[in-house]
Amino acid sequence: MRVGSISVGRSGDKGGTLDLTLVALDEQGYHWLESRLTEVEAQASISRVMPGVLRRYPVPGLRALKFVIEDALPGGVYATLHAGLHWQKAAIWVLLDLELD
Amino acid sequence: MEHRVVACGAGFAGDRTEPAVALAASGLVDAVGLECLAERTLVPGLRARRTDGDAGADPRLERRLRPLLPVARANDCRIISNLGAANPLSAGRQIARLASEIGCSGLRVAAVVGDDVIALAKHIEWQEPIVGEMLGAHAYLGADALRDAVDDGAHVIVTGRVADSALFSAEVLPILDDNLDALAGATTIGHLLECSGQLTGGNFEMPNGDSLTAQDFAELGFPLAHVRSDGSADLALLDGAPGRIDILTCTLQLLYEVHDPSAYITPDAILDLTGIRFEEIGPNRVRVSGARARGRPTRLKVSGFVEQPGFVADIEIGYAGTHALQRGRVAADALRMRLDNLPQKDLRIDLVGVDSTLGSASLPSPNRTPEVRVHVSARCSDAQMAQIVEDEVYSLTLSGPAGGGSVRSERRPSLAVVDGFIDRDLVKTETVWERAS
Repeated sequence: MRVGSISVGRSGDKGGTLDLTLVALDEQGYHWLESRLTEVEAQASISRVMPGVLRRYPVPGLRALKFVIEDALPGGVYATLHAGLHWQKAAIWVLLDLELD
Repeated sequence: MEHRVVACGAGFAGDRTEPAVALAASGLVDAVGLECLAERTLVPGLRARRTDGDAGADPRLERRLRPLLPVARANDCRIISNLGAANPLSAGRQIARLASEIGCSGLRVAAVVGDDVIALAKHIEWQEPIVGEMLGAHAYLGADALRDAVDDGAHVIVTGRVADSALFSAEVLPILDDNLDALAGATTIGHLLECSGQLTGGNFEMPNGDSLTAQDFAELGFPLAHVRSDGSADLALLDGAPGRIDILTCTLQLLYEVHDPSAYITPDAILDLTGIRFEEIGPNRVRVSGARARGRPTRLKVSGFVEQPGFVADIEIGYAGTHALQRGRVAADALRMRLDNLPQKDLRIDLVGVDSTLGSASLPSPNRTPEVRVHVSARCSDAQMAQIVEDEVYSLTLSGPAGGGSVRSERRPSLAVVDGFIDRDLVKTETVWERAS
């Protein structure tokens, strides 16, 4: 199942840290996400695209998972070698487009 | 229960100007906050201030306030903004002059100063070594720095660096219950409001691809909040304003950029957001409650801006028509060969329209694409090196695959933002008043 078929998401950042949020549409979806999109699984997907160590914060009361990746954006947003500025606004699709069993 | 109505009229320096006017004109709003100062938006102001002591405020100040001031005044709506950027004192004078010019006589402007802590540099505990020239150091002030201006009835409060949430929570301070959880609630509401359209359906898409329509995005309403003395609030749009406020848009904005949701550090309180409850109480109307405080930080965060030599050169060249993707790939390979003397860590070459954003996590690309752009970014030690990289891309128009063109390039100066901390008792703030004649 595609993560983004049962959740919505948004990317943010502070300094060199990337900050991703997923919110499941319902309780069942949250439990599926919480059990499948583990810290290890999320780290593996993120590492295909950027450096940094990922930490996951489950927020069951809000049906949300947060993923905070320190040093994902070395030197901060403006030091990027991506085209233009703020590519990280799209980084949540690394997780939304993930297919998990 | 006593309440105040606070609205967001801007969520970043370049944000639209009409929503603030609509909110003020509604007559429903006690204060409209304009958040106009991102981490680095201060830097052009700091540079301008070096040569002209009266410069350094946001250059968009007049564009934003000329239409807003008379409407806000007529509707008894306070304006609270960090438009002061690197020079809130000058911004205060500019606003008073503008108000005099457009007939808002007697308008009282409070400039809050004290965020500039460069004079206290030896007390700042930097989190990494400072390499290069420090342009400035600014502390994130809390809502308490705005309290005098609110209590003394300022029509406009203008600041430099303050926590974004404080631009909204300051209005509520006089009615808040005397406990830290109420302050945590008001700060949380400020955090929910501070990114304008991100609470009302901007930057939002449902799993099936549904989002607002083009017309809704073009006329998107910005949010307002009825904040009660216990720190709970009802979030809403003006009647008839396009947008979407529901549990999903609220949850995404609540958790936006907070890192650890059980300990989001703001100058006013360390927020525990894990017990927040959202309740949809009507169309585009959501009740929020349950914020808790985990103490108040004893230190303020400081951002230091350090100028370093060098640039990032960012260049693109486009290919179109039959075989465009193939020609783009060949061009990218040729550039990799031409630039193989650059360290790999300082160079990125990819295809815009294929994989320039998400790299190897990109969706599979189609075999045929009507056009593609080859992108090169390189970290360059000086202007001459940047020129060489730019010229290498241009050279493909003569010595590369057929039809290369639509070239564009930009150079971004190298600037580091270094985090630091300072004891909050050392940071003295002051309110300086101006009055429109």
